[in-house]
Amino acid sequence: MEKLKIGNFEFNSRLFIGTGKYENLDIMKKAHEASGTEAVTVALRRVNLENEKENLLNYIDQNKYKILPNTAGCYTAEEAIRTARLARELKLPDWVKLEVIGDKKTLMPDNEETLKATKILVKEGFTVLAYTNDDIVSCKKLEEAGASSVMPLGAPIGSGQGILNQNNIKIILEQAKVPIIVDAGVGTASDAAIAMEIGADGVLLNTGVALAKDSIKMARAMKLAIEAGRDAYLAGRIPKKLYASASSPTEGISK
Amino acid sequence: MKLIINSKEKDINCNTVSDLLKELNLNNDIVAVELNKNIVHRENFEKTKLKNQDKIEIVTVVGGG
Repeated sequence: MEKLKIGNFEFNSRLFIGTGKYENLDIMKKAHEASGTEAVTVALRRVNLENEKENLLNYIDQNKYKILPNTAGCYTAEEAIRTARLARELKLPDWVKLEVIGDKKTLMPDNEETLKATKILVKEGFTVLAYTNDDIVSCKKLEEAGASSVMPLGAPIGSGQGILNQNNIKIILEQAKVPIIVDAGVGTASDAAIAMEIGADGVLLNTGVALAKDSIKMARAMKLAIEAGRDAYLAGRIPKKLYASASSPTEGISK
Repeated sequence: MKLIINSKEKDINCNTVSDLLKELNLNNDIVAVELNKNIVHRENFEKTKLKNQDKIEIVTVVGGG
């Protein structure tokens, strides 16, 4: 399979997976292994001084997985830029999943702030993967601002609703010059497969695996779905037709 | 000396950022530090002096999507 290239990073796996919400860190580690991923997202938060838990980094083998810090929880460009800069201090790879939220209840992205932050972070040398709406105009603007990948949502974060507007994603894919990763909304394997079948370059997900009854099995299902979807895309699906078309010869039927 | 660490006031006696992290039992490799809103690079932890009422932000990596 051809590699996925984002900035200077290269991946065999087209699945990006989160580190949040798992039952425990052991299960998370095993789910990562089962998913075949090569990149895992993390968030940045204040250390808990009263009751410092075991650090997440002990459960991520950085020789196997590239850590992709996100700016989740940021509501302004300024906050997101600060978070990205702090992540850089942690000696993580120089890339960032830029996420600037505009509404607490829906967690919908603030595209204006995301664009502002993209411009500044690109100037500072970050490889920016920008989370945004499934909207062609936002995606184009982020690409023009220098994002190395644009990540339109399939559905709201953590909602598991699947790819709500496949046509929007198709239009984005048609016009994109950078890899498009469908981020958010993937609830089960078929959602991931659909994203890949319509030509997405990758899928980023967290909740669909982390909150599945069996995270490890779901992680494997996502891996297989993404491989199947990618192959189906490359193979080229047949057009949909209204009427039947026999698969067996219509001639020579014994009477 | 009183320091404001992650918005909480603490009474800690230490000279440098490095001392503070040691006092708090934090591993230098897994934290990023801001002193009065400015990032302190890891290589400067030892030489960055702290004074009374300094505001310090200490962050690390947690689970996220």
